[in-house]
Amino acid sequence: MKLNSLLLMSRLVKKSPSVCTDLPLSSSDVCNKLHLMKEFLRSSYGPTARLKQVHNNIGGSVVTSSTSSVLLQAIASSQPIISLIRSSILNHVSRFSDCGLFAAVFCLCLLEQAGQCGLRKNVMIKVNKHLLALCTGYLQQEDCGCKVKLDFCSSQSLITLARSVISSKPTCVLTEPESDHISRVAVQAFLLTVPCNIPDTVRLGRTVTITIEGHSVLKSAVFPGLLLSMPENLCFDSLCSPLHVVLFSISLAGDLSEIGDGRIEMHQGVDVDSQILDQLLELGKQVLKDGVKLFLCQKVIHPVLQHYLRCNGVIVIERLGVSLMEPLIQLTGAQPVATLHATIPSTVYGKVHNVCIRQFGSKTMLHLHPAGETAICSMILCHRNETMLNELKLVCQTTELVLRLTLREPFALLGGGCTETHLAAYVRHKSKNEMSESTSVLGCSQTEYLLAAEAFCHSLELVATSLEHDGGTSLIDLTHAHHWTLPSDVTEEHLEGVMAPCGCGVVESCQNKTRSYLDTKYAGFSPAPLLTASPLQATVLDSFTAKVNALGVAVETANLVLDVRYVIQDVN
Amino acid sequence: MLESVIINSRQHVGLQKVSALAGRFRSSIGPIKNYKFIQDEVSGESVLVCSCFRIIENLEPTCAVGQLVYETVQAHHKGYRSGSGCLLFLAGAWSRTALDCLQRGIAVTHIIKAMSEGIDICLDVCKKSSVLFKDIAGMHKRTATPQDLGLQLSEEAITNASKEAANVHDKCLNMSGQRRVKLSRHFCEAKSEMLSSALLPDLLELPDVAVLAESLSHGCEDAMKLAVEAVQMLSKMNQQDISDPSFDISKVQTCVLPGLPEDCACVVEGCVFLLSDEQARVAHRIKQQPLKVALVTGDLSQTYRHLGFKSLSGVGVCEHLDLSASSKEDEWLEKVVNRLLNLKVNLILTAGLASQKVIQHCCRHHILVVEKVNSSVLRIIASSTGAVPVSYATQLAEPCVGNGINVEIWRDLSSYERESSTAVNISNGRNGGLVTAVITSCIHGKLQALEDQFWACAYRLHHALKDRALLPGAGGTEVLCVHQLQKQAEYHRVEDSKTGSAANLYRGLVLQLMADGLIDYISAVMVSTGRFSAAEARTIVSKQLQDFHKDEIITGKFLQLILESRREDAVFSAGKPDEALTVKIYDNLSVKQEAWRKALDLVFLVLQTDAEIITGTGQRTEENLMRL
Repeated sequence: MKLNSLLLMSRLVKKSPSVCTDLPLSSSDVCNKLHLMKEFLRSSYGPTARLKQVHNNIGGSVVTSSTSSVLLQAIASSQPIISLIRSSILNHVSRFSDCGLFAAVFCLCLLEQAGQCGLRKNVMIKVNKHLLALCTGYLQQEDCGCKVKLDFCSSQSLITLARSVISSKPTCVLTEPESDHISRVAVQAFLLTVPCNIPDTVRLGRTVTITIEGHSVLKSAVFPGLLLSMPENLCFDSLCSPLHVVLFSISLAGDLSEIGDGRIEMHQGVDVDSQILDQLLELGKQVLKDGVKLFLCQKVIHPVLQHYLRCNGVIVIERLGVSLMEPLIQLTGAQPVATLHATIPSTVYGKVHNVCIRQFGSKTMLHLHPAGETAICSMILCHRNETMLNELKLVCQTTELVLRLTLREPFALLGGGCTETHLAAYVRHKSKNEMSESTSVLGCSQTEYLLAAEAFCHSLELVATSLEHDGGTSLIDLTHAHHWTLPSDVTEEHLEGVMAPCGCGVVESCQNKTRSYLDTKYAGFSPAPLLTASPLQATVLDSFTAKVNALGVAVETANLVLDVRYVIQDVN
Repeated sequence: MLESVIINSRQHVGLQKVSALAGRFRSSIGPIKNYKFIQDEVSGESVLVCSCFRIIENLEPTCAVGQLVYETVQAHHKGYRSGSGCLLFLAGAWSRTALDCLQRGIAVTHIIKAMSEGIDICLDVCKKSSVLFKDIAGMHKRTATPQDLGLQLSEEAITNASKEAANVHDKCLNMSGQRRVKLSRHFCEAKSEMLSSALLPDLLELPDVAVLAESLSHGCEDAMKLAVEAVQMLSKMNQQDISDPSFDISKVQTCVLPGLPEDCACVVEGCVFLLSDEQARVAHRIKQQPLKVALVTGDLSQTYRHLGFKSLSGVGVCEHLDLSASSKEDEWLEKVVNRLLNLKVNLILTAGLASQKVIQHCCRHHILVVEKVNSSVLRIIASSTGAVPVSYATQLAEPCVGNGINVEIWRDLSSYERESSTAVNISNGRNGGLVTAVITSCIHGKLQALEDQFWACAYRLHHALKDRALLPGAGGTEVLCVHQLQKQAEYHRVEDSKTGSAANLYRGLVLQLMADGLIDYISAVMVSTGRFSAAEARTIVSKQLQDFHKDEIITGKFLQLILESRREDAVFSAGKPDEALTVKIYDNLSVKQEAWRKALDLVFLVLQTDAEIITGTGQRTEENLMRL
C-alpha cells in the first residue's frame, strides 16, 4: 500500500484529532460502565459468589471462574478509566495474589458513593486519604479489634487461613471434608518450603504444582522433592546413591537456533547437522565419563544423543520447561549449562539422593529425592474435572503466597465481612470524635467532612454486604461491630433461634446483642474488642498483608480516578 | 470487551440451555439407538451418527454453556466410551430440577447443598446395590440347569438390595448406630470382600467373561462378541493368571476395513495393515518366516527432523552449487538401505510417513515399509520384540533391531475395492503382544458407529473387570435411587413439620425433584425401546414405584417388566428365544457413578454462573449484552 501511494500519487490521510472528554466521571456512559463493572465484580465476590464464564464465542474453550486475576484479565475496555482501575487491581493481584476482588469492589463503591454525595472532588480525595491513614494506623495497632496474631506453635490458625482462601472460590465445588483436606495439604506444602537450618539469609523454597484430572480431591498430596513427568517406557536399574545430575538450559536439539538471526555463509559440502551432532555426542561422552546418571534439559535433546545416553544407563528427561529450572537448581545444586562448545567443569554437576517412579492416575512421574536439606516440594492436585481443577490450582497458588506473607507479618484479619463492618464503625466513631481537629487540618467544612466520611464507611459496609448473593440481609451488632447475615427465607421472629455465629465465627449468636441493618443508620459507637481469656478462634481469616495493601490500592486508585479532569484519546 | 448477560435468577438461561441441549438426546439414550443424519447446511456434507457422543461432537456447540457440556462429555468419553447419553440426559434433567427450585425461590446455596446430599444418596445406593462378581458367577452356575431359576435368583438379589437400601434409612434413625443390619450377602463391607477374594483366589468366584459380556452388551451383541474374543485372545497370549482377570485396553487396536460385509468382522492377533500392490508383493515374499524388524518414530525421509529442531533460514552456501537436493536424498537413501541390508532387516514400521521413493527402493530390496503405525503399537511391538524405536533411520544399529516378527497375508481385498489392496497381519505371537479387532461394513458411513460400539463394549468389559462388581441394569439401580431419594425427602418433610427449622426447609423438595429427574430418565429409556409410549412408560414407572413404597418385596416385578421388554428385543435380534431368556442386564458401576457425578458437577457450575464474558472482537447483536 505504501509503495502504491508513492508511485501513483501522494495521498495524505488526515489524522483525526484526539477526543477530549471533560470531567469523565460526570458522563453517564462512564458511570454506567463503572456501575456495570461494580455489579459484575461484586457478584463474583466471596464463597457463595456467582461464577462467570469466559469464552471467545467462536468455539474456544470455556473458563469458569470467580477469581479476580482471571476476570480482570478477560475484561478489556475502550474506556481509559476502566482500564486504569483494572490495571491497578491486577498489579495488586500480581504482587499479593489475594484480595483482588475486595480492592476492586471497594474502589468502585468509593467512586459510586463519591458521585452520589456530590461533594467537591478535592475534598473527597483529602478525606479519603485521611481516613485511609486512620484505618491503616488502627490495623497496625496492637489492640486492633479485628486482627488476630497467628500462632505458629500450632498449625490450626494457618489451616483456618488457608481454608478461608480456598473456600472463597465456589468454582472448586469442594465439600467440607475436601476443603479441609486441601487446606491441610496447602499448609503442609508451605511448611515444607520453609528451610529448617536457617543460614544468614532465609530463602524460601518452592512448591511445584502438578494437576491430575479425574481423581477425587482427597487424593491430593504433597511430596518433598520434585516430581518430573517421565518419558515413555523409561526403565532403569537400581542406582547407587547419590546420583550425579547435569542440567542444560540450552537446546540440545542439534540445530543452530541459539545463535540468533542473520545470514550464515558456509562452505559447500559442510554438513552442519552432523557436525553439531558429533559435538553433542562428544558432550555425552564426557558426561558419561564423569559418572552422570541423570541428564536433564530444559529444551529438546537430539534423539541420537538421548539414545546414546539411555543405552549407557543414563536417565534422560527433556523439555522440562523454564518453570522447573529454578526448583531443579535449588534441589540438585547443579548449575545450568548454557553451552555445548566447552568442556563441562565438574563444579556444575548437582546431585540427588535417589529417584523412584510414582504413578498418579494416568501420569507416571519420576520422583527426585533431595541429597540434603532442601525446601522444594511437589503438590499433586486432583479434581474431577478440568474447570474445577484449574480454579483449584489458582486458589492453591494464592494460598501459598498468603501463607508466605504471614512470615513477614504474623497476623490475620477476621474474615466474613467482620473486618469491614468493624473498620466502618471505628472510622465513623473516630471521625466524629476528632472532627474539629481533622477539619482544620483538611481545610473543609464539618458537613463536608461528615458526608465524605459517611461515603467512605458506607463503601466499606457495601463490601461486606457483597458477600451475600442469595437475597439475605446484612446486619451489624452494636457491641463488637461484627458482620451477620440474615438469610432471605428466615423471618424476624425466628431470628434469634436460627442465627448462626457472625461472619468470622468469633461472636456467638446466643450473646444478647442488639443488631442493626447495615443499610440503616445506627448511632455511632466505639466497637469493643472481644475480651476472652483464650486467643480468638475465628473460622474465617483473611490475609493481613494482602488486605491492608488492597485497602490502600483501592483508596489510592479511587482518588486517582476522582482526580482525572480530562480524558484525551488518540482515535487514530 | 466485556459483554455480559445478566441472567434473571428465576429464569436461568444457562440451565435452560443445558436442558434444551440435553433434550436433543432424548431419543438416543438406552440400548436401542437409531441412526441419525447430521447435515452441515453450509457444505452440504452429512454424517451418519448413532451414539450421543458423536451427535454432540458433530453438533459443534459454540455457546459457552454448550461448549462446557461438550467438554464434560468429551472428558467422560475419553475414559469410559459409554454413558455419555446418561450423562447428557441427567445433566438436562437435573438442570430442570435446579430451575424448578429457583422458580420456587430456593437460594442457590440451599439447592447445591441439597443436591449434593442427593448425589451422595445415589452413589451410596450404587455402592450398596452393586453385585459382586462371585455372586454373578454363582447365579450363572445355577442358571445352567433350569432356565428360569436364574431370573428368580437375580430378582431375589435385587429385592434384598432394596430391602437393605430401605434399611439404611432406618439405621440412620437408630440412635445407637452400632447394630448392623445384615440381610443380604451383597451388603457386607465391599472392601473386605474384595480383599478376601483377592487373598483366596477361588475360580468359582469369578464369572466367565462371556457371561459378563452378555449382560453388558446393551443391544450391541455383535460388537460385544468381538470384545469378548479380544479379551480371550489377549489372556491366552499373555498367559494371564486366571484368578486375576483384567483387560488391558491399551493392547487392543481397531482396524477399519470398508467394503467387506459386516459378518467378516473378527479379532486377530497382532496388527492389521493395508498395503498397496507393490508392498503386497514384498509381503508375499517374506511371509511366514521370522523377520527382523526396525521401528522408526519419525518420517522416513532425508528432510525429516525431530520435533523441536529449528532449521536455519538464512544459510547461504558459497562456492558452486552442484550438489543438488535430489542427489543428497539419493545419498541418504543409499545409506539407509545399506544399513537395513547389513542389519538384515526385512520389515520397517514407522509412525510417520515414508516417501514413495523410499518405499519403492526398499521394495526392490525386499524390505517391507509400513507407514503411519500408531505410536502405541510401536511401543508394544518394541517391548515384545526387543526392538528399540529410533527417530532416524540412520540411527539404526544392531541393538535396535527386534526379532521374531511374522508377516502374514490376511486377506486380499482387491475384489472389494477399486484400488487393489491387501491386508497383512503382523504379529509375533508371543507374550506381551496385542490384538486387533477388524471392523468391516459394506456401508462406509456405518464404520464409525460400529467402531464406537466395539470400543464401548471393550471399555465396559475393561471397567467391569477392574471394578469387580456390576450394578443391576435395566433401570434397576435408578429405581432404587428414586426410592431412596423419595424416602429421604419424606424424612426431611416430617422433620420439618416437627421442628420448623430452616435448615431442612427445602431439602425434601429438592430431593423429590432430583428423584423426578431419574424417573424421567427411566421412562425415556423405556420409550426409546419402542415398546412404550411416553405416557405408558410414566404410568408404569409411577405405579410400580407406588407399589414399591407400599410393599418393597415386589420390586422384582418392576425389574422383571423391564427385563422382559428387553428380552423380547433380544428375541427379535437373536432369534433364539431359549437363549435370550437367560440374559440378565447389568450396568458398569464406575461408569454410572462417574456419569452421574459429572452431570451434577456440570449443573452446579452452570447453576452458579450468572454472566458470561465474551472476549475478542466478534460482532454480536444479541439483546441482553452489555459493553464495557
